[in-house]
Amino acid sequence: MRTRQSYDEKVKSLRHNIDMNKFLVASVQPAQVQEPDLADKTKSDRPWIVIVWNDPINLMSYVTFVFQKLFGYSLEKATELMLDVHHKGRAVVSSGSRERAEFDVYRLHEHGLWATMENESQ
Amino acid sequence: MKKNGPILRLKNGKFKINLSNEHREVLQHLIEQLRDSLMSANDDASLRRLFPTAYHNDALKDAEYQRLMRDELLASRLASTETALLVIADQEEIDAESIDGFSRSINSMRLVIGTNLDISESDYNKSNENSTDGADDDLDDHDVQKELYEYLGWLLEWTVMAQSEGL
Repeated sequence: MRTRQSYDEKVKSLRHNIDMNKFLVASVQPAQVQEPDLADKTKSDRPWIVIVWNDPINLMSYVTFVFQKLFGYSLEKATELMLDVHHKGRAVVSSGSRERAEFDVYRLHEHGLWATMENESQ
Repeated sequence: MKKNGPILRLKNGKFKINLSNEHREVLQHLIEQLRDSLMSANDDASLRRLFPTAYHNDALKDAEYQRLMRDELLASRLASTETALLVIADQEEIDAESIDGFSRSINSMRLVIGTNLDISESDYNKSNENSTDGADDDLDDHDVQKELYEYLGWLLEWTVMAQSEGL
């Protein structure tokens, strides 16, 4: 990892180079996100589960922190879930009523995590 | 080592931003761009990670969810950018709620730039390999975005470390 001093130097360069109107413009068209391909089933008599999917951008430390903050998980539990996301591609982070699941999904989206929900029977 | 970090958690539970004016200027410009892009209300592909699908296997339910929640999520993101701008301008102690808005905005900018760069899983652990230490005055736009992506990751790591001390 770079040192604090190297970032102080780097930020001088960035300040010199940065085109304030272009950083949000893709130099190449981003590839389409591969949405999870699951069969569509409809069952509503079971609890809903909230799934966090792996993505290559979110930092592992940030994901762990968000799990601790939003769900009150211990560091050990949050780390275990984060590693499931990272290695298995997904982890179920909460479950409950549809309304509760939508609330959790919304809070995860607020924090930039890729979260979806489905009925447990699916 | 922690005392030399850019974000510090103080004994009273508040936070201190330990960044020079050059860092603050770069961050201010980036956050303002993020805010302006969010307010432009277009369907810029770069922003898609900020508004994910909620029902991955039910398009109807997802459309209804987006109809009800997208504006609320947008308002939340805009509020975070305003908080982050205040944090960047503040030389005094910062409360936990404001640091939370700051870290979410830093993460949002990483998501946007990472999407532009089409970051993949294989890029996850090699962000330092192709970057240069120190100043480089002749970077193209792609290089600038790569440097910004790495820089924001460094800043977010420190912010999360400071926030985690309070859990």
